[in-house]
Amino acid sequence: MERAITILQQTVFALGMKVCGNPADAEDTAQETLVRLARSLKNFPNTRVLSVWLYKVAKSQCLMSRRKSKFAPEHMLSLDQLMPQPGHDGDSDAKSWAMTPEEALLQREFRERLEKAIHALPKRYRLILVLRDMEQLDTREVAEVMDISEDTVKMRLHRARVFVRNEVAKYLAHAARQ
Amino acid sequence: MIFAALSEFLDGTLPPRNCRELQKHLSGCDPCLQYLETLKKTIRACQLYQAAPAPPPSTAVREAFIKALSTRPVRRARLRKVG
Repeated sequence: MERAITILQQTVFALGMKVCGNPADAEDTAQETLVRLARSLKNFPNTRVLSVWLYKVAKSQCLMSRRKSKFAPEHMLSLDQLMPQPGHDGDSDAKSWAMTPEEALLQREFRERLEKAIHALPKRYRLILVLRDMEQLDTREVAEVMDISEDTVKMRLHRARVFVRNEVAKYLAHAARQ
Repeated sequence: MIFAALSEFLDGTLPPRNCRELQKHLSGCDPCLQYLETLKKTIRACQLYQAAPAPPPSTAVREAFIKALSTRPVRRARLRKVG
């Protein structure tokens, strides 16, 4: 029982941290999700149903989190604004992006910039990036958790990825000039 | 639109015809190829990223979970007719 609670709490807390960005909201998310899970345990015929349900509840809790992040404006991301401008390819140069992702994540400053970029995403995009790329749910599962179409998942995922890429590019270009 | 299709291309879910068109474009466009590489690295970094480790479950979380597990619905007693 103790081990089950620990594993569940760590899973939901980690999700809460990636989405909400602060331990207080992540703790609230974990608590509420586990309590609701305990009341509904008998309703899950298999682990996949349980898993999707857990993510749905955690998502709802994260969206309701009372502590508004100053980095989380709620607006739509426009593809036109995210696209590289004609002739402007300076932030894709090989020197800035020389490190592998594995090497980059070992550097604290890069990790912090990546976290900041993710938390700067509007929540509806951040959730999809976290569920798809970090929690490794497939498109169909993300659509089910978010209650949107798979096409909408793909569209928002791409914009979220490009947004984070652009933020990371600014940091790497600046670091390369140092 | 090529830019909008890049994520699906990297995920391997782009329809074959669109995939061929994109690959044809990339074979002759270095800026797009470099951009694609940076997007690929960004996605990989997100996939590898681990949030700060969770603290052990607080007493409140543990107690609330166990209490919710052990709570049974209360049946209402039938009222007898008095007469």
